[in-house]
This record gives sequence, C-alpha cells and structure tokens, in this order.
Amino acid sequence: MAQQQIPKTQKCIAVLWPSFLVAIVATGLFFSAFDPADLYPFGKDTEISRLGIYSIGFLFFWLISTISGIGTLYFAITNCMRQNTESQGQ
Amino acid sequence: MAEVDKQTPVPAGDTDEQVEKSLYAKAAKIYPREVHGLFARLRVMGVLSLLGIYYITPWLRWEGHQALLLDLPARKFHIFFITLWPQDFIYLAALLIIAGLLLFFVTAIAGRIWCGYACPQTVWTEAFLWIERKVEGDRSKQQKLDAQAMNARKFRLKATKQILWIAFAGWTGFTFVGYFTPIMELGQRLVTFELGPWETFWVIFYGFATYGNAGFMREQVCKYMCPYARFQSAMFDRDTLIVSYIPERGEPRGSRKRSDDPRLLGLGDCIDCTLCVQVCPTGIDIRNGLQYECIACSACIDACDDVMEKMGYEKGLIKYTTENTMHGSTSHIIRPRIVIYAAIMLAIMSLFAWSFSQRVSLGLDVIRDRNQLYRETDTGLIENVYILKVLNMDDTAHRYKLAVSGIPGMEMRMDLPEIRVESGDVLELPVRLQVDEDELKARSSEVEFTLVADDDPTLSATESARFLGPR
Repeated sequence: MAQQQIPKTQKCIAVLWPSFLVAIVATGLFFSAFDPADLYPFGKDTEISRLGIYSIGFLFFWLISTISGIGTLYFAITNCMRQNTESQGQ
Repeated sequence: MAEVDKQTPVPAGDTDEQVEKSLYAKAAKIYPREVHGLFARLRVMGVLSLLGIYYITPWLRWEGHQALLLDLPARKFHIFFITLWPQDFIYLAALLIIAGLLLFFVTAIAGRIWCGYACPQTVWTEAFLWIERKVEGDRSKQQKLDAQAMNARKFRLKATKQILWIAFAGWTGFTFVGYFTPIMELGQRLVTFELGPWETFWVIFYGFATYGNAGFMREQVCKYMCPYARFQSAMFDRDTLIVSYIPERGEPRGSRKRSDDPRLLGLGDCIDCTLCVQVCPTGIDIRNGLQYECIACSACIDACDDVMEKMGYEKGLIKYTTENTMHGSTSHIIRPRIVIYAAIMLAIMSLFAWSFSQRVSLGLDVIRDRNQLYRETDTGLIENVYILKVLNMDDTAHRYKLAVSGIPGMEMRMDLPEIRVESGDVLELPVRLQVDEDELKARSSEVEFTLVADDDPTLSATESARFLGPR
C-alpha cells in the first residue's frame, strides 16, 4: 500500500483513534494508582483541581501515544515505499 | 471475516484487493431509507430504552446522594449502595473483563446483535437519523435536497437540523459530565454560566464526539474505527446467527410483474428492487454474501419481507440463519466454544462475587519515615518511625485498635489518644516502634501492623513493614 493511496482522513483516524483508546486506559491506570493531590510535578505544588489534572493527564497520554502512532505510521509507509521501489528496480 | 468468507458465496472479483480498496476509498454519503417491521420495532425499543437509561440515570438519587456518580474529583465511585475507592480498581477491571466475555458469548451465539441493537454508535446514529428525517424528509427528499444549490428552503432545513443536532449533542455531553461530577450542581452552574474550564471542555468534547460520530461518521466508525468489528469474526462459527440472503431461492434475480410466474420466466424470488441496499445503514448489498461491514441490524430483512408479502411470496428471502442451516445441516446452540466462553465467564463472575463479598471496608497503608533509617532513644532503644494511613471505607464512623507483632518485646508509641476515623475519611497516624537492640536478629526485620474495629471484629486489616536497625 503506497502512501498516496491512503487518504489523509484515514491516516489521522489510524493515529488519533487508537492512541485515544490507549490514553483512556493509561489515564485510568495511572490515576487509580496516584492521587493528583499527592503529585508535585517538578517539585511544585500545583493549584489545579483534580478534574484539571485528570484532563491534563489524559491529553498528555493522548499526545504521547499519538507521537508513537505517527512514528509507527511513518515507518510502515516508508518501509512499504522502499520495498515497492526495490521490487520495481529488479 | 476470513473464516466465514470461505463458507459464504462471494461473487467473483470480490478479492482482498478490492476489499482493501473499498476500505480506503473516499466514502460517499449513505442515505438509509426508513424501514418498518419487526426488527425495526425491536431496534427502536432498544434505542429508546438505552437512551432513556443514559439520560435519566445521573438524575436518580439514592439515600441523599446521586445514585450513580463516578466522582472523579473526590476519587470515589458511588454505585447505588456501593462506594468504590481507588483501592477497588481491581473490581472495575474484573467487571470490564466480564463484560468483554459476555460480548464474546453473545457474539458466538447470536452474531453481531450488539452492533445492530445496542452499540452506542448505532443508538445515537438512529437518534440523529430520526432528527434528520423529521426535518428533511425521507431518503429521496434528502437526496434531492443535497443535490440542490443553496436556497432559502435548503438553508432553513439544514440550519434547523444542525441546531437540533447540536442541542441534542450538547445535552449528551452535559449528561456525560454529569456521571463524573454531581449533575444537580453542574446544572445550576450551567444555567448561571459558572461551569469550570475543564467541565466546559469535556461537555464540548463529548458533545462534539457525539455530533461527529452520529451525524457524520456514522457507518464509517463501524468500518474503520471499531476494533470489535475487526475481531468479531474470530468468535463466529458455522452455528452463529447471521443475516443472510438465500441465493438458491433468490437467483437468478430480475424484475417482473406481480402476476408473472417467476418459474416460467426462469427467475428466482428476488425481484431486484434494491430496497435491501437502500435501507442498509452501511450501504452494502447483502446479496453479495456476508460482509464485514454488515452490522446485523436486519433492516434488509424487514424491507425484503415487506416486498415478499406484497409479491405474495414466502417471507425470509433474507433472514436470520446460520451457515449450517443454509447448507442443510442442523444448527447447535450448545457447542464447545459456547461452553468454554460460558465456563470462563461464570468462573470470573463467581470469583468476583466471592471476592466482593469478602471486601473489607477498611484500608491500611504503612509508610516508613524515609528521612532516617532508625534512631536511638535516650533509654538506649532502637526506634523506627512510620506513618499509618487508615482509610475508613464503611458508611459509619469507627474506632479502631492497633496491634503490632514481629519482634519480641517491641513497644509501640502513638501520639493520638484513640484511632477514630469518620466514614470516608483518611487518618494519618504517626507510630513509633521501639526495640531492644539485642532482640534484633538482622539489619532488617519484618513487623506486622493489625488494625481491628472496636465494634466489628470482621473489620480488620493487616499490613507488614520493615524495621531497620544497626545490626
């Protein structure tokens, strides 16, 4: 599957959607174990409400897994392209 | 789908390559035709009761609090008479596993019945389709309207639909947040424009997701985003209920007059009216065999039965059936797959019920003072300092007795006169343990704290810790 055959929307969904699901699980696991009130990010006591910390945590997890998803997509596509060019060259 | 595809008649040319192409093709808008019949009625009943449960539940009260409140700000989940704490995370995980197994079990027996009747994607799409039909009219009117250039009427209809959609989605988002933060106060803050920034964010986020998924993405969510749609075929076998067209009866398809005898014309029972395609919410032709896009909503069954009745033919040209029945063998409900799913499910359910009944509404955590390993007292004893966190998860206040064991002659010193914890409170209790150095066998020994409620000996918790000394 060469790159130009996958529409942009599909690529966005393929990255954002699984990472969204992963972020939900990660947020649930993380904040079951750690109470935001006990956390002092960078040694500072924040004044953000728990709901705020949960939300920021969720968005952070989503960002992280999105970055990982973009990496996976990038390597998958470029590997496919390279294999295509190699097979054409033979 | 692999397993089932092999057994189902698939028209020539429907290769993997084509499937792949269709997977990534730009989607054309699908206008599902409205359908009436037995299964449509069942689905409407399902949709109404599920929407009812969703929108009403947060407003229910139980003994002075919201009956179902996953109170994230307070880190407590209220489920009617049960209160769950972060420590009870395992029960929620077990519930999810049970729900997953139940889905496997139901899928193996009845196919994608979840998709067709109960999935939130189906439920909200039905609701949005209903609004769309009320405003814009039926399938053909919608198609005509979309083909028109923008005019006053089109603008009015589109704007009405959008306003209704957005209002409905907004209410859905508000209700969603109401599961996580008390909905009464949330409602008050909403009307006085005092919603917190994150509450506002989640109302809009969830509302937008509803609007996008049910208004625009629709069947594409099932086709491209749903993990269950991809792996459900793994639960399928030849005895699983599927929606299928009976090609032996229907082919060769062709149009004819009602008065014609199809046998004389050399035709099967399918009059090729394409109503089954028009009503399909995922836009497939069920006559091409079982396809993974099929969410088993059985709209095509209703549509086809209606036509068969009008033509005076027997109903059931498209029907719920199984691979085995279609190929002339008998179907079995009880088979190894079903027994195994049921056994695992029952085992986890009983384990869950047993462990939940054994749940003690008392939490004890022991944290060693990290600042110093140990210290020597004026009287020459070795002393370690601990912070005990006592969490009363019961719904009444209790007084507790603390005991410690592990090293002979160990003394316990507490600054508090008594250990009394209100319902739902956490008490931080500094405790010092003092030991004669001669009694220490090693640099690190195990000690065990035991906490018991005065009025209820079943309310007890034990937690071990390390006692560090010079040796």
